[in-house]
Amino acid sequence: MQTSPVSDAAATEAPRRRTRWRSLLLLFAVLGPGFVTASAGNDVGGIATYSQAGAQFGYNILWLMIPLAVALIVVQEMSARMGCVTGKGLAALIREGFGVRISVFAMIVLFLINTLITSTEFAGIAAAAENFHISRYIAVPVALLAVFFFVLRFNSKIVERVFVTFSLIYVTYIVSAVLAKPDWHQVAVGTFIPHFEFREAGWLAMVVTVIGTTISPYMQFFLQSQVVEKGSRTEDLTFTRVDVTNGSILAIALAGFMIIANAATIFIANEHGAHINPQTAMDFARALKPLAGNAAALIFAIGILNAGLFTATVLPLSTSYIICEALGFEAAIDRKFSEAPVFFVLFAAGLLLGAGFVLIPGLPLLQLILFAQLLQGILLPAELVLMLIIINRKSVMGEHTNGPLANTIAWTTAIVIGLLSLVYVAGQFIPQLLGA
Amino acid sequence: MAFTEGFISELVGRKATVNEIPIGRVTDFLVNKPDDVFPRIDGLVIKTSQGLRFAPIESVATIDPDGKTVALTMTPKEPAPPEESALFLIADLLDKQIVDVDGRKVVRINDLEIARAGDGLRVVAADVGVAGLLRRLGLKSFGKRFTPGIYRAIPRSMIAWDSVAPIRDANPTQVNLSVTESKLSRMHPSELAEIISDLSAREAAAVVSQLDDETAADAFEHLDPEKQRSLIEDIGTERAADIIEEMDADDAADLLSELDEEQQHELLSEMNEYTASELRALVKYAEDSAGGLMTTDYTWIYPHRTAEATIRKIREIAPTSEFIYYLYVVDKEDTLLGALSLRTLLLADPAESIDAVMETDLVAIHPDMSSEEVAATIARYDLLAVPVVDDRGKMLGIVTVDDAIDAIMPEDMARKLPKFTARHRSHHPNADVAG
Repeated sequence: MQTSPVSDAAATEAPRRRTRWRSLLLLFAVLGPGFVTASAGNDVGGIATYSQAGAQFGYNILWLMIPLAVALIVVQEMSARMGCVTGKGLAALIREGFGVRISVFAMIVLFLINTLITSTEFAGIAAAAENFHISRYIAVPVALLAVFFFVLRFNSKIVERVFVTFSLIYVTYIVSAVLAKPDWHQVAVGTFIPHFEFREAGWLAMVVTVIGTTISPYMQFFLQSQVVEKGSRTEDLTFTRVDVTNGSILAIALAGFMIIANAATIFIANEHGAHINPQTAMDFARALKPLAGNAAALIFAIGILNAGLFTATVLPLSTSYIICEALGFEAAIDRKFSEAPVFFVLFAAGLLLGAGFVLIPGLPLLQLILFAQLLQGILLPAELVLMLIIINRKSVMGEHTNGPLANTIAWTTAIVIGLLSLVYVAGQFIPQLLGA
Repeated sequence: MAFTEGFISELVGRKATVNEIPIGRVTDFLVNKPDDVFPRIDGLVIKTSQGLRFAPIESVATIDPDGKTVALTMTPKEPAPPEESALFLIADLLDKQIVDVDGRKVVRINDLEIARAGDGLRVVAADVGVAGLLRRLGLKSFGKRFTPGIYRAIPRSMIAWDSVAPIRDANPTQVNLSVTESKLSRMHPSELAEIISDLSAREAAAVVSQLDDETAADAFEHLDPEKQRSLIEDIGTERAADIIEEMDADDAADLLSELDEEQQHELLSEMNEYTASELRALVKYAEDSAGGLMTTDYTWIYPHRTAEATIRKIREIAPTSEFIYYLYVVDKEDTLLGALSLRTLLLADPAESIDAVMETDLVAIHPDMSSEEVAATIARYDLLAVPVVDDRGKMLGIVTVDDAIDAIMPEDMARKLPKFTARHRSHHPNADVAG
């Protein structure tokens, strides 16, 4: 390899920085907080939402992913920056910046929504099991035990690594999307020309749902905790930004291919007179048929099982950490119960309630999954506003407050999503509003 | 009735009045000497229509115990002092994390209890429990009225202020607030290390900056390598070198061997030449070998001295030595000739020469021996330490039994060991040995 004199000089001047560069780049390329968060974000809710979006609205909803990519990168960069600069989690910053009332309220909402999300993970596991004729009343308790086992027996970093590795299974979507021979012209039109269907039933709900699952409120908490736990500092901002951007782009790309794969199989088939109306998450396995043929269901089930177990392992635990961080309770998984009672009660409650909810007979699982994502979309603006207030405080961020560009994008995101949610909620009460 | 004790959350936000005319609201409380055992409140910050004003505590006429006002004798004229000049109870402490020194954990302040004591109002305790949270939520009167049973059952977790160590961000403008003798040094080093591990990088650095070098060194010895490495980056090379110098040589060498060469070099060049050269020698060995486990801090004596003269020498060096129970007899070239226990030395005839009482049939090991073999050797011969010598019989150091145990004990077992509390320790001096 050729080395220019310039880079040589730089190398001798700062050999330490160069070795850190290399090791950090390597680390981040493999398993940075952004990458882990992106993988954890592609949970059962994500798979179901993107599949449903593709199946119901075809390529025409793809354009949404482009502004979402920008918003996701900006929002996650903010989270990561707050983590690097303050060395504190988002929950701690909310507590220190807004006091007890707002923190307690935010933590109650966070607990409820995260427990609901945990439910959707078990709903995915139940759907995968029932496709192979295993009752959810067996599958969910077994999965619950597995999660307790992973959390209590293994180092969380190792568990994380295994799940992230398994989430490579989503690459099958890229291959399947290509093998389905979509009309690439239509894909390009759908991606780059915004397409509004306010009068279409369920379109607005789907938009808010896609937003909610792509920029899940819990992911900001999760990402910032990961950054803090990794010990990243202000000097590491550049690497953290690279990592977060990579993770975001990866997440959006996978989401896009999920939409394409489902659009090319289910939506197009319906256009040609088929009547495929997905009733359970497993019905979306059809999108993997061009690649896997008869093994599609199996691959899809493995993917959803991995996604469900991953997030069910990570989410109740991190929620419990976050709440204890905000309210000042001792939190550590390797302590005895008597040393951190609140922490363990929250963790067990989140997990048991989440799993138990799915066992209510006759609960429509797919609707539950999509509803949870919709709710995330509705709650997101409130979280963004809290983040924006904190990140613009000099007393917290010093010279690393938001620049005008980040502020513009993040405020626009918060306001647009807020308006969309408002219109959607209002539309539930006044159906005429949307002219339906 | 005058105000005698209460919570700060019940005072903040109250109307401040002069001659019963409201002039603003109480927003904060100022403390000039935060390092006092129970710091005295020196004044109130009042938000008036003219901005933030400072009302000295002497100008406070009455604080109605259950009322809604704080009466002042005169209108505060002075503007509130800048943030970094003093400690503000609301801005700097409320909702922030602290170390509970006796409970040995990191908690958040939900409320502060203040009480009239002697010459004024003083901060006496931090409320870190659910009761404090409910009070802040404004649910206290609600709870008292509707669910008095439950309300009383809520445990009140108060931490007396003399065992509260605030974690202040390492902000150079606040050096005037830094504590002279930190309450943190009351904790056992392993507990301190656990606290440091629980904190974020910045808070951990803030805690270390409050410790003297020796306490910090003791805590460092109990930290895992990753945390050590990140702390060194945060506290800077100079301070890190001071701390490493105070560490046991074997632990210091382990730490250095985890760093890249550039960093090792920077740290070693900050230390005094003697310690640096000792550490340079130790860093060469693999961590899980006898060389990596050994410390150079052993007690050596010359063969031709009398027992009496040797005892005098031991008495002199013992205070700064890690290990004095075995004495190693070496010649001028550091060749190991023999050894004797402190017991043998004490029982020997004072006029007897050392080489007449020393044991010459010694178990010594090579620096490349694996840690398992080292532990096995120590166990087999029931030793407290085993000397490490090179091929030519030159004494390099010793491996003590506790370092050998640490090296072979599975990591998760170390984590599951019972913790001994400070109270236990004071009642059972032997708990340290058991732990």
